[in-house]
Amino acid sequence: MSWVKSVLYSGEDVFDENADDLTLQNKEWTSNMKKRVRDGYVDGLDAGEEASLQVGFNLGFREGAAQTVAVGRLKGIVSAIWCWCQIQHPESPVPSSVTELLQRVSQHEDKIMGGIKKALENPPPSVSAVSESMEDLEVDQADSGCCGEECEETNCSRGGEIMEQDVIQQPQKLCSQSADYNGSGESLNHLLQCCMDVVSELGMPQELMSHIQELNNM
Amino acid sequence: MGDGSGDDDLFGTILLADERFRGEGYEQGFEKGTRRGLEDGRRHGARHGAKLAAEVSFYYGFAVTWKCLLQHNTDVKARKRTKALETLLDLIQNSVHDDPQSARLQEDMEKIRAKFRQQTTYLRATEVTPPACTVQSSVTYKDHFWNPTHYSRTAEATPLQLSPRTTSS
Repeated sequence: MSWVKSVLYSGEDVFDENADDLTLQNKEWTSNMKKRVRDGYVDGLDAGEEASLQVGFNLGFREGAAQTVAVGRLKGIVSAIWCWCQIQHPESPVPSSVTELLQRVSQHEDKIMGGIKKALENPPPSVSAVSESMEDLEVDQADSGCCGEECEETNCSRGGEIMEQDVIQQPQKLCSQSADYNGSGESLNHLLQCCMDVVSELGMPQELMSHIQELNNM
Repeated sequence: MGDGSGDDDLFGTILLADERFRGEGYEQGFEKGTRRGLEDGRRHGARHGAKLAAEVSFYYGFAVTWKCLLQHNTDVKARKRTKALETLLDLIQNSVHDDPQSARLQEDMEKIRAKFRQQTTYLRATEVTPPACTVQSSVTYKDHFWNPTHYSRTAEATPLQLSPRTTSS
């Protein structure tokens, strides 16, 4: 324990021949405490992930569903129209307007799914990923005070704020991805309009129109 | 004796410092881990949610359209088919497909797929390829993240094919 005593009373020791010993003991102390922080950090990281994965999954599940529900239904509608044409007039080919529309709707859906899949495989870099270094940890330690429980509470509320910001940011990322695809490909509205034109062209029941228009609000 | 109590104080100080540093590290790690878990979970969830919703809403769109198209047909067969389509639509509307942890999810999905398959062969439709995905069970991240074999099984499944006029109605 002599090295601890040396650290605690080092201010009183002015003899040069002990200076190297003190430096070494200081370094040893610092290195040990850094290791404690690192060990705690790793454990905390695992525990935090474990606790929040399912929550994140459930959130994402609903968000993902919201992105495909309208296009999926439209694809079902157009597929049914295609089948109907095939059955009603087996001797003639299905009108090209229907076949083309089905292709375009499928492509639109594929783009949305592709965007979601891409986000999964190549996640955008987050603040947390960028700042994962021991140096940052040391900076954090300097920032946080040494007031025991008060310090913990400050950290917790800070953590809470950070989490909220992340949570708020994420929907924008997901939405903007699908918006990009809508912009670069075709908009769902445009496809809906084309579908209504087809229904009109084929003289299909008016009720079908309202089912299509309903998709605008989804 | 003075030294003895001094050593006890020192030991106590070391333990406290040890725990404090470890504790601070844990808190920081927990914050970061929570953010990471939320982000990762969200991305995985989005993929599954999107696939499932695309599949179910496809069935719905198909069924609702077919019902519309049949309604002017008053023969017995058409009425039977309309009734069956209504059953499918009810099944979809009452199912719990936005809660990945629902125990009913898998059951509901199996029923919906079976009903749709039945309806489309019944209708003798010709080759339409609806999307299909296989959510193997109530979706917890554990099923999908910690069990790699399970996760790979939820990748693209064989799409439902509707056989052209080979089944009896």
